[in-house]
Amino acid sequence: MYRYDEFDHAFVAARVSQFTDQVERRMSGEISEDAFKPLRLMNGVYLQLHAYMLRVAVPYGTLDSRQMRKLAHIARTYDRGYGHFTTRQNIQYNWPKLSDIPAILKELAEVEMHAIQTSGNCIRNVTADHFAGAAADEVADPRPYAEILRQWSSVHPEFSFLPRKFKIAVIASEHDRAAIQTHDIGLQLKKDDQGRFGFAVWIGGGQGRTPLLAKKIKDFLPEADMLSYVTAIVRVYNLHGRRDNKYKARIKILVHETGVEELTREIDAEWAHIKDGELKLPQADIAAINAYFAPPELGDRAEGWGELAAWKKSDPGFAEWVGRNVAPHRHPDYAMVTISLKPIGGIPGDASADQMDAVARLAEEFGHDEIRVTHEQNLVLPHVALADLEPLYRALLADGLATANVGLITDIIACPGLDYCALANARSIPVAQEISNRFGDSARQADIGDLKIKISGCINACGHHHVGHIGILGVEKKGEELYQISLGGSADENSSIGQITGRGFGPDQITDAIETIVDTYLAHRSSADEPFIACYRRIGADPFKAALYSSEAEAA
Amino acid sequence: MKTAPTKTKVLTANRLTDGISVWLGANGEWTTSLKDAFLARHEDAVAAIETAGQQALDDNRVVDVNVIEIEETASGPRPYRLRERIRADGPTIDYAPDFTASVSQAA
Amino acid sequence: MTVIWTQGGIVENDPWISHGAEDAPKLLPLAEALEHAQDNAPFGVALQPADDVRALAPILDRVAIIALTFPAFSDGRAFSQGMLLRERLGYQGEMRAIGTVLLDQVPLMLRTGFDSFEVDHAPTIKRLVEKRLPGIDLHYQPAADQTDAGASYNWRRTAILNG
Repeated sequence: MYRYDEFDHAFVAARVSQFTDQVERRMSGEISEDAFKPLRLMNGVYLQLHAYMLRVAVPYGTLDSRQMRKLAHIARTYDRGYGHFTTRQNIQYNWPKLSDIPAILKELAEVEMHAIQTSGNCIRNVTADHFAGAAADEVADPRPYAEILRQWSSVHPEFSFLPRKFKIAVIASEHDRAAIQTHDIGLQLKKDDQGRFGFAVWIGGGQGRTPLLAKKIKDFLPEADMLSYVTAIVRVYNLHGRRDNKYKARIKILVHETGVEELTREIDAEWAHIKDGELKLPQADIAAINAYFAPPELGDRAEGWGELAAWKKSDPGFAEWVGRNVAPHRHPDYAMVTISLKPIGGIPGDASADQMDAVARLAEEFGHDEIRVTHEQNLVLPHVALADLEPLYRALLADGLATANVGLITDIIACPGLDYCALANARSIPVAQEISNRFGDSARQADIGDLKIKISGCINACGHHHVGHIGILGVEKKGEELYQISLGGSADENSSIGQITGRGFGPDQITDAIETIVDTYLAHRSSADEPFIACYRRIGADPFKAALYSSEAEAA
Repeated sequence: MKTAPTKTKVLTANRLTDGISVWLGANGEWTTSLKDAFLARHEDAVAAIETAGQQALDDNRVVDVNVIEIEETASGPRPYRLRERIRADGPTIDYAPDFTASVSQAA
Repeated sequence: MTVIWTQGGIVENDPWISHGAEDAPKLLPLAEALEHAQDNAPFGVALQPADDVRALAPILDRVAIIALTFPAFSDGRAFSQGMLLRERLGYQGEMRAIGTVLLDQVPLMLRTGFDSFEVDHAPTIKRLVEKRLPGIDLHYQPAADQTDAGASYNWRRTAILNG
């Protein structure tokens, strides 16, 4: 993974000094709260219902054990002993004091971490496939490009006051594991028939009040042109994105209102001026960044095959965990392990400081010291020998990290919601917990199969409900919480925005409504091999609506 | 002619230094306990708390000042809005079960 | 109190300052400036964020000063306008930031080609006069300012500090 050089260390230290000075000026009143707000947001500091919230960047979801230990230490020392992993591969702390944040940032800088631009109307954390560097289907590791974009976008003087936030995601396979079509810019690394690297480029995806999927505007952008092309896109957006209405300010609206062909013409016209200028990426620089991402030495561990088979046979719990949480690696003796942060009835994406330390230890012992955060709020050890799966499982079990539910109905994605967030209209966590408890039985879950439930507590859609197979949006109606259901969303290469079923459901009815939907699916599926999303796409919304609303007594 | 009684109000904000939810108390100090909030039942009282709120903002002690409506119940003031009840009572879920809070009273 | 500040310090008797002397030349909005360009008198232009800076191309050599507006500090369009004026149009004259000019945006403005600033926020004026800007001298991207490229990655720059 990337290692800071002197320049990076000096930069992050300067950034900490800069923010420390800004905090002092805020405390003394030299800066008003209005003027301070964008500055603190660009350092990841939100004001929530009960306290500040600090969002620490985990660039493209990658960290090592040293960094994970530091995150645990921060949780213990400055917060309430836990953290929350987010749908953009970052981590959030819910109780830091503003007066402590300079110290926290200093500690993060010691392990090459920061909270730069994790909020604000600027370019945010560049996310990537959480299986990068290990997946068999990638053309190459996409993360070096994410790292180049991360550097280039840091304190970019032209792009620090955009109309709204700007999110970029990078993948390197046909199978999209980073939801690029829901991003402002999505990049898919490809190889042309001469083996040269380039990107398919999508723009204008985004959720929130007006969910829209990105449109592909380039089939193959040579890798050397990545920075200049992204500059052209963001410059056109900065100049022409709407500034009159917060809910119409993302580039997706600009694409929608201008038309993708016309907007692409404007972008290409701007690009023509700069493409051969100082932003052109030299091969040597790409190669240098690439070198940081060289895969670890994965020695042959062929004994794992036999051992795995034997363990699975003797331990059904282990077998179940392997079936759900373990995916094949590029190297046949290895696997990619997902650590579920969705215990039955638990808070999705939360991890205690002790659990973070445990993951750090296990990454060192079994995982070649590499950890990933997924946009579905789980963790990954991407390089684990098959021969080490069983001892890893035992250790995870002891720490409550071995729930065998990846991709199943209890692997719920939920934003913090009204329990924490000042923007929320309704709670999301208790809904997630109730659904998880209702469907907690492992046999039942296995029977239901792949089913992604995503829950947001407000229209800002941080829970990505628009792209859930089942999406739940919490709203406030007449002072009470109400939950709208949408069906058929998806965030992979076949992305789709979910369709609202109809009237919403109160907190006492929502779990029953989910059960009704699941039962409808089970009754209509063509076989146990037809997953929910395929069934929905085949039969449409009507059978589900009929089941949900057949009893007219259920007035919302 | 009957007019609807005005709802009792309290002033709430978040402390600048640590972001903790606070309410304006009877003695003009900020308290972390809603129970100790000053209850503004009349126009004059509401005007007074609004003024105090603006002053506290200007003094850089608090941010995000709001006048909110509460119901006076036997067990103390109860905000009408769920959001404000959650601000007063904390998250409704069992987060960080190992944590023991030590929260000071003064703003 | 409104001042004009440059990296050389406060500018006394600046002719283009807002609310300046009655008979002082005024900054013209774009449409007027394009008309006025026929005359030989020096003139200045004040652009709004929605103006297309490229419209100035034919009259650039006759402009005495270009001011770009930050109506609120959150409106960052003038940063792109500044970049285009410097890099695309090759404008080398004075480029001024007007509107809401606050300390923490000044380093970004300096990087995007601004060289003078109209400021009325007292704490900002104080820090500018003390030359204590909250900028970071290491840059991860080229911009319109003069910087050192150094031996590192192509996109990195370092501020050239005066002595």
